[in-house]
Amino acid sequence: MNSRLGAAVLAVVLLAYPFVDQAVGLHTVHAVSDGMIYMLLALGLNIVVGYAGLLDLGYAAFFAIGAYAMGLLNSPVLGSPLYGHAWSFWLCIWVAAAVSALLGLVIGAPTLRVRGDYLAIITLGFGEIIPVAIRNLGDVTIEIGGWRPIERLNLTGGENGVNPVGRPYLPGVPFETDPVPWYFLILIIGAASVWAMTRLRDSRLGRAWMAIREDETAADCTGVNPVSTKLLAFALGASFSGFAGSVYAAKLQAITPGAFEFQVSIMLLCMVVLGGAGSIRGVVLGAMLITVFDRVILSQTTFLVRGIGRTLGVPALVSLDLTLWRWFFFGLGLVLVMLLRPQGLAGRRVQPLAGADVDEAAALDAAPPRVEAIPRWLREQIATGPVAQADALLDVRGLTKAFGGVVALNAVDLVVPRGGIIGLIGPNGAGKTTFFNVVTGLIRPDAGRLTFAGASLVGLRPNAIVARGIARTFQSIRLFQYMTVLDNVLVGEHCRLEARVAGAVLRPPRVRAEEARARERARSLLTFVGLSGKEDELARNLPYGDQRRLEIARALATEPRLLLLDEPTAGMNPRESHTLTDLIGLLRRELSLSILLIEHDMQVVMRISDRITVLDYGTRIAEGTPTEIQRHPRVIEAYLGTGAPQEPVVPGV
Amino acid sequence: MLELADLHTYYGNIRALRGLSLSVERGEIVTLIGGNGAGKTTTLRTILGLVRPRRGSVTFNGTRVDTLATDRIVRLGVAQSPEGRHIFPRMSVLENLELGAFARRDRDGIAPDLERVLSLFPRLRERLTQKGGTLSGGEQQMLAISRALMARPELLLLDEPSMGLSPILVETIFRIIQDINRQGTTILLVEQNARMALRVAHRGYVIQTGRIVLHDAAAALLRSDLVRKTYLGET
Repeated sequence: MNSRLGAAVLAVVLLAYPFVDQAVGLHTVHAVSDGMIYMLLALGLNIVVGYAGLLDLGYAAFFAIGAYAMGLLNSPVLGSPLYGHAWSFWLCIWVAAAVSALLGLVIGAPTLRVRGDYLAIITLGFGEIIPVAIRNLGDVTIEIGGWRPIERLNLTGGENGVNPVGRPYLPGVPFETDPVPWYFLILIIGAASVWAMTRLRDSRLGRAWMAIREDETAADCTGVNPVSTKLLAFALGASFSGFAGSVYAAKLQAITPGAFEFQVSIMLLCMVVLGGAGSIRGVVLGAMLITVFDRVILSQTTFLVRGIGRTLGVPALVSLDLTLWRWFFFGLGLVLVMLLRPQGLAGRRVQPLAGADVDEAAALDAAPPRVEAIPRWLREQIATGPVAQADALLDVRGLTKAFGGVVALNAVDLVVPRGGIIGLIGPNGAGKTTFFNVVTGLIRPDAGRLTFAGASLVGLRPNAIVARGIARTFQSIRLFQYMTVLDNVLVGEHCRLEARVAGAVLRPPRVRAEEARARERARSLLTFVGLSGKEDELARNLPYGDQRRLEIARALATEPRLLLLDEPTAGMNPRESHTLTDLIGLLRRELSLSILLIEHDMQVVMRISDRITVLDYGTRIAEGTPTEIQRHPRVIEAYLGTGAPQEPVVPGV
Repeated sequence: MLELADLHTYYGNIRALRGLSLSVERGEIVTLIGGNGAGKTTTLRTILGLVRPRRGSVTFNGTRVDTLATDRIVRLGVAQSPEGRHIFPRMSVLENLELGAFARRDRDGIAPDLERVLSLFPRLRERLTQKGGTLSGGEQQMLAISRALMARPELLLLDEPSMGLSPILVETIFRIIQDINRQGTTILLVEQNARMALRVAHRGYVIQTGRIVLHDAAAALLRSDLVRKTYLGET
């Protein structure tokens, strides 16, 4: 109710503001409208930087592309046939957004392979290239041995820019020097953008962006395609700057390359970082603060200081121009925010929810997994999914992988039958995790066959392998730390959901139903692993054992036929291990889920494995039932030692 | 040697330690056992000055250290092998080990110590020029322990040293812990593997929700109902 009241108040303020301004005679509407254009740009940048975590230092280039798309299409300078119609602006604004999105894809493509610092450097270069190209494409002559196919062609208007640019036309609304119609035009576009972004953020796509931001490898192994997800972030981020650039060009009715320099990119980044990357509210706040400070406070203060200087007769104050110090103040502000509130003014929550005091007694007595708690949908999905014809669900033959001189895997054979639990053990550094990485597509094998349900996996990307039905957990837990527990599981469902961009924004009934079902499924999975009630906690704030269980829930959400568990009980006490072992046994018994298990806790391995494969220095040194493995001299020598297991363990669950 | 008195440490509003007191005498192996989230790692972080207690004191060899910077505490003779390894992934194994000796003043003692840790962990000798990040999980664990040993600390803090190690290496690690101790290093050992920890330790503390609930000689703890039921998984 409170948020509704807040929204209503905000709407009234936004609608009344230009009239109040005019009545009082403040004359700030122009400045505020310009500021809102930058706010829209910052929101577009937020998709790239805040959601997908791709640092873009050249975002002003997309602003330029949007502005020039509008400028060139809707201007007589270069003889555009679209100029001069009543509908010109309304058509061109969509074309500009599409052109920006397309260039977002083009520019995004080469940056996909790099991350972090390297990506930032590429975008920096791109941000420099565009204004320079615009400057120099105003007079193009190509000469090949005296033949001039192109002579003095004007593509962009060069240094002079494009002038005039056509205005929007609406019957009865004068888009002239009066700033009020412009204010409302920008307000409508801005409000629609915020609305669309909010829906994108809370959609399947928004979760995929954040998963990529948190941990690209883990996202890939959870079924999120990093290539298309990142490209979409670039394209959608750029499309909003297409709208902003269009309005900017039309409002100014003239554009020059000077408006899209590096500093604009930096200012936009400041807005995002200051307010809080990833938070729409924060970015709006950051943009508002910077614009108001820049356009209003600095000039008003300069005016004031000069007045004081004149009264006191101090010449230094009279000639002072604080607007020249704007970058000084931006820099200072940024330093202060980073020191005091690094997540931004309205940034993401990082602290645990209130009352998260760990009740250890309860945690230790975590309820054992129950058959009834297995979500019915999971049972149905796994039972009705494509079933392997052969007995061997996963069939690995002669798998070989070398890193430089080190042979990590040497002609390894391993078979996981349908519904079987296979233990994979061996000394540290024997190649167990490398084996997992090859099966899940993170590493390409040098040689060998890798067949899952009858089809080869070699050459598939990790997310494609997840879609085929193989899920995994990681030795060192790799959750999406700054996402909620529920969202972590929802990312797991990503590859089983279908909503795309249009669906995410428009939310037709089909998408609503799918999203509701996905949430229900995620909740039932969390209940099953014993995490109900913690849905809204950030993953990073969970205690260790809960994080392990959440990783399993996330893997189950992908509806796997084969589950790869990499040391699932590492760091758990005996009681927790025991509960987890029961859970694994239950999954196999009830769902016929096949499981490949790396584990050093012999109590666990020997108790639940049907068969065990032992690796040493990348080579399989033994394979057999738990009883055989426990007696195997080479395994005792290389791995078990003479003291363990302390007591004989009865295999089988 | 080490005295923790009535420590209260918070993360934001979350009370991680609620009046924890324990002591370690010179020459001892003392183990701190408890469940996940009980405050074991926080205790070690508080000793090293990585988090500040809101109340209480940490005294090392008669000096209050709870207000000192971490690097000063390390120079006084405390070293830690952190949970989750935290090795330097882009530096070689050798460089990782050399950095462990960064704060030492006895340059001559470093080479023999390097030889000593490499003979404790022959696997690291094979990997000496490899980047730390390319090691397997268990190898990184060995590297983290070795790096801490390279500081030749008076007090060694070990956070779950057996995690992720093969059974034979777990035995080896605990044997090494005893060896190091016999050679004069005092050890505070945090472990999930309570059985092994209590076998090598002299004394033990059981921590629950940020305070010590039980404290006794290690052999006595192994026989106590609470420890057997909760931490050894016996029924």
